[in-house]
Amino acid sequence: MRRAIFEKIFYLVLLFLILILMVMMPPYVSPYTIILLSSIFMYIVLTVSWALFSAPTHYLSLASAAFFGLGIYVSAILGDQLPLLVVIGLGGLISFLLALLVGLSSLRLKGMYFTIFTFGLSELIRHSVQWWEVNETGTVGRWVIAVDNTTVYYIMLAILLITLVVTYIIKHSKYGLALLSIGESEEAADHIGINVNAMKIITFAISTFFMGATGAIMATRWSYIDPSIAFNPLFSFMPVLMAIFGGMGQIFGQALGAAVLTLLADLLLTKLPYYYMLLYGVILIIVILFLPKGLVGLKEEVKLWLRGMKQRYENT
Amino acid sequence: MNDKVKYFKLIACIILLVFFTTFPFTAFSQTKDKIRIGTAISLSGPYAPGAGMTQIPNYNMWVEEVNAKGGLLIKKLNKRLPVELITYDDKSDIGTAVKLVEKLILEDKVDLLLPPWGTAMHFAIAPVVTKYGYPVMGPTVSSEKLREIAHKVPYFFGILNMPREQGAALADLLEELEVKKVALIYVADAYGIEWTGKVAPDLGLKKMDVVILKSYPLDTKDLSPLLKTIKAAEVDAVLCMSYPNDTFLITKQAKELGLNPKLFYLGVGVAFPVYKQMFGGPNAVEGIMGAGAWNPKVPYPGAKEYFDRHVKRWNQEPDRWGSAFAYASLQILEQAIEKVGSIDRKKIRDCIATQTFPTVIGPVRFEGGFNVQSPGEIGQWQKGEFEIVAAKEKRTAKPIFPKPSWP
Amino acid sequence: MSPLLFLDILIGGLMMGGLYALIAVGLSLQYGVARVLNVSHGEFIMLGAFATYSLYILFGINPLLSLVVSGPIVFIIGFLIHRTLFKRLRRLSQSLDAFEGSSLLASFGLLFIIQNVALLIWGSNVKGYTYLSKTVNVFGAVYAANRLVALLFAILIGLIFYFFLMRTRTGKAIRAAAQDVTTAQLMGVNIHFVLGLCFGLGALMASFAGSLTSMMFEITPLIGFPYTIIAIIAVVLGGLGNILGSLIGGFILGLIGNIVMYIHPGLSLIAYYFIFLLLLLVKPTGIFGK
Repeated sequence: MRRAIFEKIFYLVLLFLILILMVMMPPYVSPYTIILLSSIFMYIVLTVSWALFSAPTHYLSLASAAFFGLGIYVSAILGDQLPLLVVIGLGGLISFLLALLVGLSSLRLKGMYFTIFTFGLSELIRHSVQWWEVNETGTVGRWVIAVDNTTVYYIMLAILLITLVVTYIIKHSKYGLALLSIGESEEAADHIGINVNAMKIITFAISTFFMGATGAIMATRWSYIDPSIAFNPLFSFMPVLMAIFGGMGQIFGQALGAAVLTLLADLLLTKLPYYYMLLYGVILIIVILFLPKGLVGLKEEVKLWLRGMKQRYENT
Repeated sequence: MNDKVKYFKLIACIILLVFFTTFPFTAFSQTKDKIRIGTAISLSGPYAPGAGMTQIPNYNMWVEEVNAKGGLLIKKLNKRLPVELITYDDKSDIGTAVKLVEKLILEDKVDLLLPPWGTAMHFAIAPVVTKYGYPVMGPTVSSEKLREIAHKVPYFFGILNMPREQGAALADLLEELEVKKVALIYVADAYGIEWTGKVAPDLGLKKMDVVILKSYPLDTKDLSPLLKTIKAAEVDAVLCMSYPNDTFLITKQAKELGLNPKLFYLGVGVAFPVYKQMFGGPNAVEGIMGAGAWNPKVPYPGAKEYFDRHVKRWNQEPDRWGSAFAYASLQILEQAIEKVGSIDRKKIRDCIATQTFPTVIGPVRFEGGFNVQSPGEIGQWQKGEFEIVAAKEKRTAKPIFPKPSWP
Repeated sequence: MSPLLFLDILIGGLMMGGLYALIAVGLSLQYGVARVLNVSHGEFIMLGAFATYSLYILFGINPLLSLVVSGPIVFIIGFLIHRTLFKRLRRLSQSLDAFEGSSLLASFGLLFIIQNVALLIWGSNVKGYTYLSKTVNVFGAVYAANRLVALLFAILIGLIFYFFLMRTRTGKAIRAAAQDVTTAQLMGVNIHFVLGLCFGLGALMASFAGSLTSMMFEITPLIGFPYTIIAIIAVVLGGLGNILGSLIGGFILGLIGNIVMYIHPGLSLIAYYFIFLLLLLVKPTGIFGK
């Protein structure tokens, strides 16, 4: 019991120190590091918020790109008329509202049907926005008001912090338990008295809030966006990959997966432009083959290995 | 015992993380013994064929030629400095391109930049290169939208022909050939939309009848339904504002369906040397018109020699549009550096903005950031060469009209 | 609407539908039986296309004949991939859900690897060749001969496969495994062999489809993924685990795509997804799903 509390305090202090590091960093590191870290924060937020709903309930959503893209478009359209923080909030809010609609409409769908439905929806939104832009506004792309990199960094850090805190709280509350029981058996959860539909829809919507907000701020990095950039299906697939890669069960795993894969992609892209996809794929396969629970499984494996060593040592 | 190990592992991980994040990004100090030029361009993805045709061979060839001379002449240092080209793959993804350009500028600390391929990519990096003060000339961007923001991106120059002039040239040509009924289809991307936005009204003003005006998605696989509709409409001219993949697709399917209008015009890709081979030889494309025109016969010094050098080096002809413009932009860069006498990017930018430069596409001058030497230019394949048939003053051959039937 | 136009749309739709049905059945075997949502399915299509292209350009081998050459090779590759990768993943996974997750990740890894390899071998430029591009008159509607041939071959392959599935012992084993893996195992089916077989057959179908499309369309290392999406949609539309359903799903998609193409090409993708989503909402387990 004491050890458990000690552990918790240890991790809390650790996280606090890392936070201080992140906050103090910008003036002392190269501008590119700031850009890279912003990217990493972005992917962590996308992954962790995606996993908020999809990990416990096993309803794998592939619509993340739709909400992320929505945030981007909010920024592109309203960025020059409203202050930055309002735009970000709106990005999150509009995503939230759209997610409520999506959730309501897809209630009857389960499993892979739900997954492919969300994918189809994301693509429908992408093509519809494209159609609208081509025919009604006569343009395809839009310019986004630029914001300097350090501001983006701090805002992303703030969003990351809020996402982690909210996700942690929900996960370790009775709502988190409710979500898990929905994942185990929806019927049983319903019988216990959990309002399954409400839980599903609201949690889904909360998760998309962060995606929308992230989209709104990251749009300022790209300066030019169009529907295929904003609603790129990759933004739907990568969070799933990153969560599985890092370990779907824990927030730490999800965040780790996102950070490692983003860093890896950046490194490979610049050092080995002709082979990076090959290496990326190989690493994905190797990790999942030897650590089927994801990177966090490494901790278990090392523990087991050490225990084995210890036993052998004690036996001699 | 296990817990202690666990905590040590954790601390080790954190140290590694910090190290991992900061080490790759420390810039090693550079003594000025060479000039580093960086480019983030599409080596993979849907833009790769275009980039690989129009820009990459020209970039590499130019660097080789410069280094064969000993490098770029830096008068202030009284010597030539060799050039090193750093190429990154932007995967045809805008986000990646922007990030890589920033990496080149901030981390690799390159002296100069060369642009990526395609209108959308240029849009994305124009603000970035202006922010950090790197002059860039775009050989594969053609968009009126750029004119709207040109004043905000003084470090960005467009060297390729623009839709406004191209559209006018095309409309003039059609008028001259007395075309009456037109079908106009376009790819639903920035390029297609803008060009159509310029050409369609021009045609209307000249009292031509645009009976079909339809867009198609960028990654379409099959346009035979649309082409069949066009065939049934029996128009005089078929204009397609298309990108390479659809250009090839449309040509192939039109041939299969026997769609043979009197005037057949397609967009990007017609000017590629592979185009005249891929349908069974130069006869197959006889009479097809396309965007942009340059050929080794143009009366500019160095043009024919450039053509021959390209063939010799890459075993492939340059394309008849962007390639020459890309090479010309490099010539301008070299000349500007010589005139300025150093790698002062601001001075180079000012030089490009105000002077006139002799190149393989003629004497280039930029006004308001745009090349005014090459207004409307349309080409047509005639006996295996892409002749310039518009504007009238620039003609290297008379237009063939009507288009001969498919072999 | 004239009967000619109607026929035109119908036959054109069936042509694409035949190809879609082929790749949908391939994916259905992999997902419905082996429970691997193989997102790299389209890459096998791309490989088949490139293989046929290379054989034609380098050795002058007739594209239709190349089916016999490239097919078995891709089948063996698919079988081996399952044997080495997915079988092990299945053993390591503690639940079916976990297996589906890790096999998804693994197949993404395969996607990246195969695409990069193709890029290295064939480069990023568009490749293509012409074969049987003369047009044929079918009741007044005009089609390229290669499309008709592709349709005929797709039907032929479909029939052969149907026969195989219904009349042979191995086919029966596959059907049993599709229903319930554990029970099939209890009944004496060598389950790992069957799963590997299904995966290999899926890759085979993809390769065939790729070879056939290479006659009609241009080839780049990127053509795979859009086909994967179509296959997934067809499989879901038809009802997961229902091989016949995915076949029909493929034809439906081909028809819808063609119809919308005629009406308004710019809207084709929107209508496509819209209709698909609508159908799912009406029947949440697919048209023929349980």
